[in-house]
Amino acid sequence: MGPSADFLGRDIVSARDFKRDQYDEILRSVEDLEKNGVSLDGALKGKIAALLFFEPSTRTYSSFQIAADKLGMTVSGFAGPTGSSITKGETLHDTVRMFEGYGADVFVIRHSKMGAARFAAEISDVPVISAGDGSREHPTQAMVDLYAIKKAFGRIDGLKVGMLGDLRYGRTSSSLAYALSNFDVEITFIAPEALQMRPEVSHFLRERGVAPRTAAALKDVAGSLDVLYVTRIQKERIPDPTEYEKVKGLYEVNLEALRDAKPSLKVLHPLPRVDELSTEIDETNYAQYFVQAAGGLPLRMALLNLILGGVR
Amino acid sequence: MAKAGGERMLVSRIEEGTVIDHIPDWRADTVSRVLRLDKLARMQADISVVILQNVSSKGLGRKDIIKIDRWHVDERDADILCLVFPGITVNYIDEGKVSKYAPRVPDTIEGRLRCPELNCISNAEREPVTTRFVTLKKESVLQCQYCDALLGFEKVPDHVRT
Repeated sequence: MGPSADFLGRDIVSARDFKRDQYDEILRSVEDLEKNGVSLDGALKGKIAALLFFEPSTRTYSSFQIAADKLGMTVSGFAGPTGSSITKGETLHDTVRMFEGYGADVFVIRHSKMGAARFAAEISDVPVISAGDGSREHPTQAMVDLYAIKKAFGRIDGLKVGMLGDLRYGRTSSSLAYALSNFDVEITFIAPEALQMRPEVSHFLRERGVAPRTAAALKDVAGSLDVLYVTRIQKERIPDPTEYEKVKGLYEVNLEALRDAKPSLKVLHPLPRVDELSTEIDETNYAQYFVQAAGGLPLRMALLNLILGGVR
Repeated sequence: MAKAGGERMLVSRIEEGTVIDHIPDWRADTVSRVLRLDKLARMQADISVVILQNVSSKGLGRKDIIKIDRWHVDERDADILCLVFPGITVNYIDEGKVSKYAPRVPDTIEGRLRCPELNCISNAEREPVTTRFVTLKKESVLQCQYCDALLGFEKVPDHVRT
């Protein structure tokens, strides 16, 4: 595994920027790490990871931090705006320049503004990894999601994937849709009209020859899916509160909603969840979300290693 | 001799400057907005602008014309204009000599437009970002290179940076 011509020194700012063989390579790298006994411990000793989280995060920050630690890297930066110079009004631009001056070898950036990671990548001479920018994208989460699907089915091709919830403002859904466009899958977007996938995502998919279907309710398609990717519908995203009350029941995933589901269905969720995914699913064979979450650590280790050219 | 109401009746030719012709009738204000002609007021230069509206035209029936005396419109702005009004023509006049410029749909537009996505990093206060859009000609939309938001050609005048 790594260093790789495709990943060495590369920014990870959008899941659109990667092709099938690159997704295959990253998935192979994680498998090497998890199943084939490859060790990356200390592989990036002496390198510095700057984790700049302008928006608070628990799991993404922690998984990058632990990944970098295990790789032997020095971790610097901040886990949220509180207590950092951001509260004093420092810009993304200046923060990146400053950490570059401190010798950062890679940036991991979460920001509330869409396109922040791409902007940071323009400023920085070293690779930038997006850890989520606004409601636009979360490309490494898409890699984690692909890995969870691969783990469950041994393949991604040939599957029917339903993506449910707030697709318009959910950054993980857009990235996963972009990533899946490299595979032979059937995608169905399940969301109320107001929260259907953003036009630029649908446009990209059409250009790639993927024609996603849409559905207004889970029950209409639950029986046909292999993978159900659940995201939360945030109440504040729907302008009319009475509309929210009307639609929320259509998107709650519980045993009743999965009555017609295939026994082999796997439910994914980027977490954290609130009410949209019932805990009654946790102990069923449908639940893949904790496996999915656990994959975040090895995936981010493998990715950092590929980008920074650690263990060959 | 021009027909009554034709431009010749209304204003004489200019020796130096720009004439934007074949603007659809009653749309000169939109052109003015795209070209940010209001900035000329801040320049305090010796520039005059004549806006002719609803004058007779052989090809269009009726059309608008803008004549700007002693100021050359930037070709890049003329190109942006052609996203909204593909039939527009631009004539530059130097010492009475006319050279025609045919605006083209640009491949990219830098710095001149605002992103329609308010949450885009290019709309963030104090971040030194220059907006950059790529033209998707087939779909008649621009795409922001930061946040990927789409902007239809027809909405361009509402997103010109002031």
